[in-house]
Amino acid sequence: MSFLIAQSLINGVILGTLYLLMAIGFTLAFGVMRIVNFAHGEFYMIGAFCALIGVTWLGLPFPITLALTIAFAILLGAVVERLVFRPFRADELSGMIASLGLAMILQHGALILFGPDPQAFPSLVSGVFRWGALIVPKSRALALGIGIVILLVFYVFLMHTRHGRALRALVQDQEVAAVFGVRLEIMYPLGLGLGVALAAVAGGLMAPLFGVSPFIGGTPLLKAFIVVILGGLGSIPGAALAAILLGLIESFTSSFISASAADIVTFALVIGVLLVRPAGLLGRAET
Amino acid sequence: MHSEVSVRDLVVNYGPVRALHGVSFDVPAGQIAALVGSNGAGKSTVLKAICGLLQPVEGEIVVGGEVMSPKPGDPLRHGVALSPEGRRLFGRLPVEENLLMGAYTVPDAASRREMMERVYGYFPRLRERRRQMAGSLSGGEQQMCAIGRALMARPKVLLLDEPSLGIAPIIVAELAKIIEEISRDMSMTVLLVEQNAQMALSLASTGIVLETGKVVLTGTGSELLESPEVRAAYLGT
Repeated sequence: MSFLIAQSLINGVILGTLYLLMAIGFTLAFGVMRIVNFAHGEFYMIGAFCALIGVTWLGLPFPITLALTIAFAILLGAVVERLVFRPFRADELSGMIASLGLAMILQHGALILFGPDPQAFPSLVSGVFRWGALIVPKSRALALGIGIVILLVFYVFLMHTRHGRALRALVQDQEVAAVFGVRLEIMYPLGLGLGVALAAVAGGLMAPLFGVSPFIGGTPLLKAFIVVILGGLGSIPGAALAAILLGLIESFTSSFISASAADIVTFALVIGVLLVRPAGLLGRAET
Repeated sequence: MHSEVSVRDLVVNYGPVRALHGVSFDVPAGQIAALVGSNGAGKSTVLKAICGLLQPVEGEIVVGGEVMSPKPGDPLRHGVALSPEGRRLFGRLPVEENLLMGAYTVPDAASRREMMERVYGYFPRLRERRRQMAGSLSGGEQQMCAIGRALMARPKVLLLDEPSLGIAPIIVAELAKIIEEISRDMSMTVLLVEQNAQMALSLASTGIVLETGKVVLTGTGSELLESPEVRAAYLGT
């Protein structure tokens, strides 16, 4: 029994890390562009395919593949910002619809290129860590470790560098930020590019665990949405709390009840939290 | 006396409405000038045009002898910093990070720290609250933070838009004193926009009265305070 609890705990933390990577990129894109980006999940999918191509086609080591994925994703995000989102800056509804269109294009583009079948990802590391009865596959520990390192690096960038501060200021008042010399024409593509990169890294990290297909973006998008709403829009500590909570609840419910019950419990919880605290766990009401 | 800021024949539209009909005035270097007038006279529009938030249709703005291009960022390079109307702090950033945003384009860390110490010297209350979210400060403290943020850019010209708005009279008096000190200590040119004409004109060496987008009166601060038109229209006496 205690073995099952420990196992669920570890799986929950892995899921939580994945959800947090997705949610932070999602909320950053929203903060910078004021657009709900429904294409966010497709960037997860693209990240997964990048990892697959890097590792199986090009035979590159996994860390180099991930680094290339990040670079490609930042570039892709910057291009998408310029071509798709910038024309809709002042128009949230059209921007949202444009992001839905972009999601379709990306998903069906992947379908044309790679076909509908799930592709197997060769295992990167084999074997398990074993503490008594507790077993953690090394592949999961690897994904968790890299995920946490990337989150920490991003956190330090956002909270403790000049450009990170400019991004946070820009989210609150773009006009005033511009008056003090923040160059919006650079910060918009950078903001979206970083958000896209976080989603792509999540995809790349999870590809060895969950496989790759053109349709894998939907669930992570939904989870990012839940985490952001649950944690409170714009609150990073809130998102972190909500992501870990969501991961744990899912993992415990699947272990002790069933996988389908996990979704029911999750959404019941979301509705419950929003009824009691409409601004989310750590969110503030919009003023 | 040479002027640090010259506004020449400025015409600005606010959407379809013409807000300024050819405004011209000079602000002498190192002194405080007050731009007064009633609500809707175009005072804030002048400041927004000077700091690049509004594009003039005609006319030009000369700062330190150079004509500025009307883009946000360019006025900053010419040494112009703004404390905006309604303060517009980054409410979910701590006080200290608001100040650091003011120094976003100051590359030298030592110079940023030195300026921050000066700002804390003028406004000791900001130091006490430096880790607090700017949005949680009182109105007076927020105004101090907004002025401090502008100072952090090490400007030659400080634009203050309605610093007394919504602030208790005792704090307004305190702010007025500090604005005077700042201008004197750093020989900084200050352009003060105010509905509180009494406060602004008593501080200013130069006063400019704006009415429906035109300059109707200029003079020294004390001349304007004595002028019957100004007294009747803005001071209620």
